[in-house]
Amino acid sequence: MTDSPADGRRQFAIDAENLQVTYSDGTEAVKEVSLSIPRGEFFGFLGPNGAGKTTTIKTMSTLLKPTGGTIEVNGFDAVAEPRKVRESIGYMAQETSVDEELTARENIRFACESYGVPRSERSERINELLELVDLADVAEKTADDFSGGMKKRLDAATALVHRPPLVFLDEPTTGLDPKARNRLWEYFQRINDQGTTIFLTTQYLEEADQLCDRLAVILDGEIVADGTPSDLKREVGGEILDVNLDDGADQYQQAARIARDSGIFPETPTVDVTDHGITVTAQTARQHGTDLLVALRDEGITVTGFNVRAPTLDDVFLAITGEHLDDDAVDSEETTAAAAARPDGGEQ
Amino acid sequence: MSSETAAELVERSSNTFFGDVWVNFVRWNLKAVRNPFVLVVSLVQPIIFLVLFTEVFGNIAGQELPPGIPNYDTYLVPAIAIQVSLAAAVTSGIGLVNDIENGMFEKVLVSPMNRTAVFLGKTLAELLRIAVQIGIILGLGVVLGAEIETGILGAIAIMGIGVLFSLWFIAFSNTLAIITKDQESTIIGANLLQFPLLFLSSAFVPVESLPSWIQTVAKVNPVTYGVDAARAVILDADVMEIWDITAFDGIWNTLVPAIGVLAGLGLVLGAVAVFMIRRAASADVR
Repeated sequence: MTDSPADGRRQFAIDAENLQVTYSDGTEAVKEVSLSIPRGEFFGFLGPNGAGKTTTIKTMSTLLKPTGGTIEVNGFDAVAEPRKVRESIGYMAQETSVDEELTARENIRFACESYGVPRSERSERINELLELVDLADVAEKTADDFSGGMKKRLDAATALVHRPPLVFLDEPTTGLDPKARNRLWEYFQRINDQGTTIFLTTQYLEEADQLCDRLAVILDGEIVADGTPSDLKREVGGEILDVNLDDGADQYQQAARIARDSGIFPETPTVDVTDHGITVTAQTARQHGTDLLVALRDEGITVTGFNVRAPTLDDVFLAITGEHLDDDAVDSEETTAAAAARPDGGEQ
Repeated sequence: MSSETAAELVERSSNTFFGDVWVNFVRWNLKAVRNPFVLVVSLVQPIIFLVLFTEVFGNIAGQELPPGIPNYDTYLVPAIAIQVSLAAAVTSGIGLVNDIENGMFEKVLVSPMNRTAVFLGKTLAELLRIAVQIGIILGLGVVLGAEIETGILGAIAIMGIGVLFSLWFIAFSNTLAIITKDQESTIIGANLLQFPLLFLSSAFVPVESLPSWIQTVAKVNPVTYGVDAARAVILDADVMEIWDITAFDGIWNTLVPAIGVLAGLGLVLGAVAVFMIRRAASADVR
């Protein structure tokens, strides 16, 4: 009988039930979010800007009191025992937070002192973290000369001084170049491998796809999808046929009609008009794709290119929310697709 | 494994209140030393005032001074000490705004440190800086010819008065910082007040030689109380002109009311600032 309810809860790094945040002007930033995140999981929280990602993360890290519902973080109630929660989490805000007047070492030392890392362990811990985020060679330089990526890494290091079992990362790589982003990913992966639970919000679907064990999508303050990246992709239903057409909105509409209504695909496919032509999502997209191309040609519609592919998270996102996460994300999705063709999965 | 980490961790975070004060005290001192702007700029203007005023107005103003004052330098140094206090107090709010802008404010809030200790540590660092800067001004004043009647103890007392005086303006600049959340507005707001406050007081010439409307303003101007207290110490005399108090003995007829007013003002505005900072730091949804 080890599975008493209390023990069961202890397994979760985060256990939120019916979380609600309503601002005094009536804005419901978070409507009803319930999440249980097991220890050790790399959890991704996706959603467009303003969907409630940051508000949710702030309630979990005690910066904001929810107006409804309960949250337990590492077994502590976030409202009743905020200090216990604070001691047991690392938090990296969306805006890079470093003291630019202090050196890298001093920033980490201040964080060590803030979190009560014992004096005897401090210098060792500081050196270890400087190594981990590749800032050892600039340890004595003040952070005002650092690049955006270096500041982010320093910020990340300060969130880890007390070896927290749970770390919140709020869009940690937004605004970084791909190289800096890759470096941070590697580093998050490393601390997750060491057993740290990670709660990540991101705008980059590639990031979510590469790093996360499980994802939830939040839209207008509510969770609308939840599962592993491959579960979510499977839910899109089948494969995707992109067809590029000669310019002309009429042509696009006509092509969409043909794809949907002419019975080429046994089940009724999902058809979207894109900037370049149409996209058809169907179980049999691969088998019957050529039939569609022939039908289009017979109607006098010029096909300039086509491609059959497995769904990406962007397709998931599009299917759920009716919009792309952002343009940037579309770009990175394309790079992932290209990189995925290589056995090393795009690691550089 | 991870649950062990959590338990181990809670045990470790044994920060004491004074530990938290110390950590923040160290951080803000480090920042002050690092940033020459903070240290030098709040000294430069008062030094320019000290040198220019004594050189330009010294002869004329010296003749107008009440009897018993050796020279204008001696008369002016207490005013410059208060000016330093005023200028340095502005940087307190600027520091807070900076922390809000660069995310350190939130970073501190998400840490387990005691919030009161955080702001106490920051303020203590600023008070220390004010005491040191006033010490520099006193040294410079003596070099220029000012005479401190009450000697070293008097010099220390003037630093203390400067620190006490700074409290209301530190509170004010922090309140301004929380309200505007913008560095420039805080600097402008606090600096705009500096000159009127200084000139509409007993700082540069005896109040009785000023137009009557300025005399009225001087009565309610905290700078008058700060300057009078510091001046009473440097001259070892009752110098308060705006009120005629005789209930105490000599110099105390100035010191008691002046210190009382400054302490009261510091408490009231301090309470406002604490309220504002608490509100900004609170996790309540608004």
